[in-house]
Amino acid sequence: MLIAASPVPLTFPGGRDLIGILPELVLGGAFLLLMLLDLVIPASRRSWLAGFALLGIAATFGVTIWAWFDANPGRLVYSGSFAYDRFALFVDAILLVSAGLVVMISPNYLNRRGIHYGEYYALILAATLGMMLLAGATSLMVIFLAIELLSLALYVLSGFSRHEERSQEAALKYLLLGGFASGFLLFGMALIYGETGHTQLAQIAAAIQGQTTLTVDPLLLAGVLLLFIGFAFKISAAPFHSWTPDVYQGAPTSVTTFMSVTTKVAAFAALVRVFTYTFDGGGTHFYQHWEPVVALVAITSMVVGNIAALTQTSVKRMLAYSGIAQAGYILIGVAVGPVLLPSGQTSSFGTIGVLYYLAAYAVTNIGAFAVITIMAGRGEDLDSYDGLRGLAHRRPFVAASMALFLFSLGGFPPTAGFFGKFLVFTAAINAGQVPLALWGIATSAVSAFYYLRVGLLMYQRPAEGAEEYRWSRTGFSGSAVLVATTAGTLILGVMIVLVYTAATASLKGLIV
Amino acid sequence: MLNPNLFPYLLGLSAFLFTVGAMGVLIRRNPIVVFMCIELMLNAANVALVAYGRFLNSEEGQIFAFMVIVVAAAEVVVGLALITQIFRLGRELDVDDLSEMKE
Repeated sequence: MLIAASPVPLTFPGGRDLIGILPELVLGGAFLLLMLLDLVIPASRRSWLAGFALLGIAATFGVTIWAWFDANPGRLVYSGSFAYDRFALFVDAILLVSAGLVVMISPNYLNRRGIHYGEYYALILAATLGMMLLAGATSLMVIFLAIELLSLALYVLSGFSRHEERSQEAALKYLLLGGFASGFLLFGMALIYGETGHTQLAQIAAAIQGQTTLTVDPLLLAGVLLLFIGFAFKISAAPFHSWTPDVYQGAPTSVTTFMSVTTKVAAFAALVRVFTYTFDGGGTHFYQHWEPVVALVAITSMVVGNIAALTQTSVKRMLAYSGIAQAGYILIGVAVGPVLLPSGQTSSFGTIGVLYYLAAYAVTNIGAFAVITIMAGRGEDLDSYDGLRGLAHRRPFVAASMALFLFSLGGFPPTAGFFGKFLVFTAAINAGQVPLALWGIATSAVSAFYYLRVGLLMYQRPAEGAEEYRWSRTGFSGSAVLVATTAGTLILGVMIVLVYTAATASLKGLIV
Repeated sequence: MLNPNLFPYLLGLSAFLFTVGAMGVLIRRNPIVVFMCIELMLNAANVALVAYGRFLNSEEGQIFAFMVIVVAAAEVVVGLALITQIFRLGRELDVDDLSEMKE
């Protein structure tokens, strides 16, 4: 079905438009500056680059906080291509905190691995910039460009250990499967654009609302499905997860820390904006067409991720499969969608769950990977379960925080992960999707086995005569990151109100 | 103005190219060929975008196609650099051999 498109009026980007992307502009400036500084700063002083990167991230964070108060109500900028709203800024804040924590643990790790090159920090900032653009994108074109910006930076980062085969293999796998996913994403976008006549989400939503139950366009549905497949690759949901374990294991651990969290956060933000708020069709009929697919992928991810994680013997691979399972839990919040309440209002409880879960997942997973990054010995990764054996006897505080992160990933109270799961499961039950919540609870029970297994290993005494892994010193920046993530995990687990209020506030101004 | 009856054929061509590309990614083993197949998928989407843009009489499709061309070029730069580096490390170029980490 072809719809004649009315031309979109083009406006010259004015000051209001520029303010709308101010956080992104600041971070982009920091990125360019960092590339120049890399040429000036001598190789022995590369750690300074980390300081400058941190400065850039902090400045962007400050601007984001200011924008949070300014963007009330939010607005669309650049002819409806980008949203300046609290939803995007909330996600930006999670991304910036994550990037900052990763930059803090990186210099020591990269030095020990002998891969401390200056481009690392510039690439981290470029990837973060892509993610922030993705969080606010309200046009198919901007979504595509943002996804490619973050992906290209991550491809290079995962192959950052140039002389190590594992790292190169990870990068090539990520690139080939990521490119494959981009193909699906783009073809889906082409079909959606063609069948609705627009690339701006607001106009797509209007076009979808015009469709009645009987005449849903099959090509449009195909486009929506292909777009979802593309996104599912990026959030590493099963059955599109095959790249995840290899890439997470092969990439340098600090890069794994970064991408395991931030890619998911940004991609889920876009997923919520596109699916929950654009493809809801105003009522429920169009939603009914894609909801079963999302729910099915959510269940598959929870089952495949949790069961495969049981048999792993590498910490990085275990956390990779755990990440696949977590993607499934967060997808529940997307699948629930906007529920039409009897009062006529729409409830966005599922989306609040998604946002809370993302914040909880970010602090917890960064903490868990940070332990592996910080403890890694000289020239090698801390990879196998045996490497953690007996950690509690030599480094009681590190082991205690790692145990807390594992508890949180498993969803035990009083940690951040518990409330994340609690909110999405409640949202599913409220929306009448009890089976989804039951699958979630059952697979969470399974996950307790492998999280606790690693936790117990740390508290076991090493076998007689067995050589202990040579852990590195924690260092000041490492301790700071561990303290921050531990505090974050506890705060999100005890004082749920803080982030919950922010998430609710960020949804009020959400625009597509 | 093009004959509107042509439109289904253009969309069919794009779908065909996309399928060829996707099958190629799944079947071929040489990373460079796999990479070419990915480019084919992206360009299949370009055909669809340009065809839709022409028949909807909207510029967005054409502009989108330009963006995709630029992104594809950037992806080739990263991809070929990685493949060259793996080749330098003394590996056979075969996707099946990239299994250093399989359990």
